[in-house]
Amino acid sequence: MESRVLKPMLAVYVVAFILFLYGPFFVLGILSFQEGPDGGPQFPITEWSTYWYRQIFGLTPPSRIAPLPVGEALIRSLILAFMTMVTSTVLGVMSAQAFRRKFRGSGFVFYLIVLGMMVPGVLTGLGTSLLANNVFDITRHWYTTAFATHVAYTFPFAFLVMLAILNRFDGSVEEAAWSLGVSPWKTFRKVTFPLIFPGVLSAMLFAFTLSFDEFPRSLFAAGGSEDQTLPLAIYGTFSVEIHPNIFAFGVLTTLFSFALLSVYGILMGLSVRRARKLAMQEEIA
Amino acid sequence: MTTQTAIFRIDGVTKSYGGVKALDSVTLEAGVNEYLSLLGPSGSGKTTLLRVIAGFEVPDSGRVFFQGRDITNLPAHERGIGFVFQNFALFPHLTVRQNIAFGMANGAVPVSAQETAQRTQAIIDMVGLTGMEDRGVDQISGGQRQRVALARTLVMQPKLVLLDEPLGALDANLRGRMRNELRAIRERMGVTFLHVTGSETEALAMGDSVVVLDRGRIIQRGAPDDVYSTPASPDVAHFLNRFNLFDGTLVDGKFTGAFGTVAAAKVTRAPRDVYAIRYDRLRVMPLSTAAKGPALKATYIANEYLGSSVMNFFEAADGKVVEVEHHLSLGAPETYEPRQDYLLTWAADQAIVFGREGK
Amino acid sequence: MSDATVTAKRQGPSWLILPGIVWMALFMVVPIAMICYVSFWTQTTFNISSTPTLASWKQFFASDTYTGALWTTVRIWLIVLATTFIIGYPTALFVGLFVKSKTLSTVLLVICVIPFWTSFLIRVLAWRPMLGKEGAINIILQKLHIISQPIEVLLFTELSVIIGMSQIYCVFMVGPIAFMLGRIDRNIIEAARDLGAGFGRIFWKIIFPLSLPGVVVGAIFVSVMVLGEFATSGALSGRKVNLLGNIIVTQVGSLKWAMASVTGVILTVVMGMVIAAFLRIVDLKREL
Repeated sequence: MESRVLKPMLAVYVVAFILFLYGPFFVLGILSFQEGPDGGPQFPITEWSTYWYRQIFGLTPPSRIAPLPVGEALIRSLILAFMTMVTSTVLGVMSAQAFRRKFRGSGFVFYLIVLGMMVPGVLTGLGTSLLANNVFDITRHWYTTAFATHVAYTFPFAFLVMLAILNRFDGSVEEAAWSLGVSPWKTFRKVTFPLIFPGVLSAMLFAFTLSFDEFPRSLFAAGGSEDQTLPLAIYGTFSVEIHPNIFAFGVLTTLFSFALLSVYGILMGLSVRRARKLAMQEEIA
Repeated sequence: MTTQTAIFRIDGVTKSYGGVKALDSVTLEAGVNEYLSLLGPSGSGKTTLLRVIAGFEVPDSGRVFFQGRDITNLPAHERGIGFVFQNFALFPHLTVRQNIAFGMANGAVPVSAQETAQRTQAIIDMVGLTGMEDRGVDQISGGQRQRVALARTLVMQPKLVLLDEPLGALDANLRGRMRNELRAIRERMGVTFLHVTGSETEALAMGDSVVVLDRGRIIQRGAPDDVYSTPASPDVAHFLNRFNLFDGTLVDGKFTGAFGTVAAAKVTRAPRDVYAIRYDRLRVMPLSTAAKGPALKATYIANEYLGSSVMNFFEAADGKVVEVEHHLSLGAPETYEPRQDYLLTWAADQAIVFGREGK
Repeated sequence: MSDATVTAKRQGPSWLILPGIVWMALFMVVPIAMICYVSFWTQTTFNISSTPTLASWKQFFASDTYTGALWTTVRIWLIVLATTFIIGYPTALFVGLFVKSKTLSTVLLVICVIPFWTSFLIRVLAWRPMLGKEGAINIILQKLHIISQPIEVLLFTELSVIIGMSQIYCVFMVGPIAFMLGRIDRNIIEAARDLGAGFGRIFWKIIFPLSLPGVVVGAIFVSVMVLGEFATSGALSGRKVNLLGNIIVTQVGSLKWAMASVTGVILTVVMGMVIAAFLRIVDLKREL
């Protein structure tokens, strides 16, 4: 088979693939404009309206359809994701930094950390709630048990990102700083960290996204209804009747993610310029 | 030289990487205000030596002294020894001025803003970077980056500066100019330089003293003239790239090689029998000449113009390539016929003989 | 002073790595160990005590519901793994190998990632109005006159779970495979072509083996997520499909900790075997 035939065939396939990926999203988007409050979360569209979007913001008169219980849950998810992001990025940077030198047992530690991303949330969630309930007798909360489990999940991702970044980092600038009499800690702050910042940003984004949408771990590790994170609140609507307001909410959160990623892209663009200077220096050597 | 006058001294330092000895019980010292060249092929351990002195590596055994103090276990940032990297290692996110002022701004001993600015400007002027202070390091040329690296180190007023192939990243033209500038700057500041290079011309041109390193051991040390004229071993002779080396056998003060048997007045002890004669000590004669001293029949192949001299290549009967160098300051070069046989002669007392019989 | 500094320097890594190790040990290793431990506890209707017993284990293997869930889980895992691989590989092939421009391949990958910006649960829910009798797929197929009657098996069956999972997880196959394919030196393929090899040969002897680490990574990601699943099966199968994950959730809901733990241990064992098997194929640490 010549690649002249293969390439267009694959291109067509990829287009179909992308349509397949976006199918539910399109459906979601279309249905979010369903008539309300009587329209159901299925076709056909009886009437196009922005009712459900307005309902989310509390701009519609009360009806028998309860608004999504997302207000507080959203705030909690944001705070939890932020806490997780900071903690797992700090752990990731520290651990990746430790791996710059060979040490005994580094293989074991590597797999111990990476294991955290391979264990499903049901298991760690179950184990944590067992420990909380039956051993330590502590109440489960989103900011304690759920937080700990979230970090155990996102830290390996941050770690791998930082490991890849530091592997390609040329340590001679650090040695230069030491030879000038600058202490290792100051060197890290003033030289290393600014140069690895794009990687740190990626790790932070990864951790935030993973934690924000994380569901099984929160399910087991959080407590009662005052501990609901956003995914939990959504999950709560599963067993009850679902309405198009959940779809409108999905569209809104997607737009929020889009905004977040744009901010990330801008910050990346600024700090990649610095990293490029480092690469240029290496070219002459 | 006593330990008091030596600026640094390393004593029996050994360093291995994964079973390979990069440094094998090396002992070396340098005095105050000296320019020391460290010469060796790649893999000889010269960079490792530098890094041990700087504190970037910890030796497996041996001790390092600086200004009389034992600094073997002192971390690099407490040693006060300057280091200039081959790739300059400039801080890419800082300007030229910030690079140079970095040590004063972030060191353990705080330096006042006024003094920092003053010293920074002084060194910028001294290395010839005036006007470039606020440029980013990617906006200056290779030679200017070299100067920033130097200025950054020198502004800290170290007593010893280690330079790891500092001219390696520059093109040939720039290299020549920077050589002179380095010498001038060093003399002005009165600092000891330990300059590592793989280029024998650079080592011989730069240092007051040349140290030759091979496979983790120091095999010769001396003034450039001495090293150049009297290599201590066949390996040094080979590395200096100045000598034709002939294998053969040395028996009772007589060396037998491709050129026949010649008396050897002085023999230097070496594990192999080697006869060395400098490129520029050979004379090319017509084949019919009756030679009074050692002589070798060889066929002319080609020549190469090297700027201040011409290198002529000949091939001996056993296939060995013999090089004859003619310095243009002595006169116009001769032309030779390719594939024509000639007789190469030299004065026997100009040869350096190595052998197992030597002293 | 000098000796203390040496020890401090040599101890460098340990204070850096210690927090990470402690955190993973406390919040991942210990919980899993706890699950194993509790699986042997005595469970009465309302109470649980730590007296060791095999009762819950026997109960698991004696019951069709539970063992059925085990086989269902394994079966669905294998099917979804195969499906995501078959669906994802051609896309990865295109993005990794045939797209020359770095920008275009990044754009394509970003396009594949954007759907993830919508919450996972909402995306699962969105399949319902797609697969139902009056769902989007049936409507389109009927409009195109491909079928005359709506296909009923699309929703609330095992098939719907498989479709949903495949769509949500196939991207995890595309990413790693495209990455490995992108690292293949084009010169090797050129050389093979110059030597007269056809594309089929080139693919099986060169391209596929070199992409294998990516396939393994993708397979591990997909397997981990599918084996631990319970939300997709819950939302799309109408309680018909019971995975091990569903069992755990329902058992915990009724406070049957011992049975939940037994199921958890079985799930861990299955996953351990799967991951170990995959890691046999390729040594991942080298690839990093």
